Amino acid sequence: MLGKAISYETIWDFAGSESIAKDQRWILSAMQKSGQELVNMLWRILGNEQDVCDAYQDTFLQLAHYEGGKKPEHVKAYIFRTANNVAITILRRKIAERKRISESVNLRTEANSPVNEIDLKYLQQNLRDCIARLPEHLRDVITLRDLAELSYVQISRILGISTGTARVYRCKAIQLLAVWMAKEEE
Amino acid sequence: MKILKTISSMSLYSKSEKKNISKCKHVRNRLYSVLEKHLSPDASWMQKHIAGCPRCQKRFNAVNKVNLALSCMKSQPHSLDLLKHANIQTIGVLKHSLREAPKAQKLRKILPEPKLFERMAKYFQPSANLAVCILVLVLMKMSVFSSMSKAQTQGQKAMKQYYTARVGEDIAEDIFPSDIA
Repeated sequence: MLGKAISYETIWDFAGSESIAKDQRWILSAMQKSGQELVNMLWRILGNEQDVCDAYQDTFLQLAHYEGGKKPEHVKAYIFRTANNVAITILRRKIAERKRISESVNLRTEANSPVNEIDLKYLQQNLRDCIARLPEHLRDVITLRDLAELSYVQISRILGISTGTARVYRCKAIQLLAVWMAKEEE
Repeated sequence: MKILKTISSMSLYSKSEKKNISKCKHVRNRLYSVLEKHLSPDASWMQKHIAGCPRCQKRFNAVNKVNLALSCMKSQPHSLDLLKHANIQTIGVLKHSLREAPKAQKLRKILPEPKLFERMAKYFQPSANLAVCILVLVLMKMSVFSSMSKAQTQGQKAMKQYYTARVGEDIAEDIFPSDIA
């Protein structure tokens, strides 16, 4: 009797998980709809293909496990915000690793050298470091506007702010980045 | 409960107010573009100031450096199959039924599609050429007709002069009335 009950329970569980999985087909639709934009944004933030794949995977896994498999109200907003956070976490980890390595080897890149002035890779790396340091509200706007190339209307919907606020945040972010980048070069 | 329903069903704004709000929205959007034009670094008053102020020059350079780095990040291409790889990796960790779904198979093979503007760009050149050809033809046709009518009037004038010299002005005027010539 007990065995039967257990087997019924497992069948019920299996049926339940199957129905959730069937319902979760919207994840694949979201992947199809926003995948390209998301990959572009992640590539621009991270600049490394393996990191992009990892961040992309993390984003959709978080989406699949959102409140026990429920569909968020605004899927695109959820995806972009999550991807943004995941990418920044990876970026910060890499920056810390790079710092640790450079300290242990005692290699210090000279920011003032004329080679670095024209080295665009250095410039990009510097910008990525500074973006990782930005406060969340400014960072979200700059990544969505300049790296994901979304319109202010889309950004305002994703972040739940007005378009005017998004513009102000972007302006502030650019000012902060300019100050920090100039300081790093001094 | 009923009261709440009636309140929610009631419109907060009248028709004219709604119209005014939509106008406001339009003006607000236009305002940003106008301000951007006037306050952009390309504005002449700003250029003049920056040229003479070392502090602003420094700030301007710093902002330009950020913009340069951002455009560098944007212009750096990734491999064509990055989206495919990312999809394969992600679908691999999803539930079995999702992995086996026909859409998942499609996503595993997906390649980035160019944007609508990029897709239309290849048709832009031939259509521009066609438009130029049509314009040239129209202009040619117009010039041909105008030169033909010019030649006709000049020919009539010459004939009138000939007849005036030979048979007299009255008869020449009868044959070639002056309003035509």
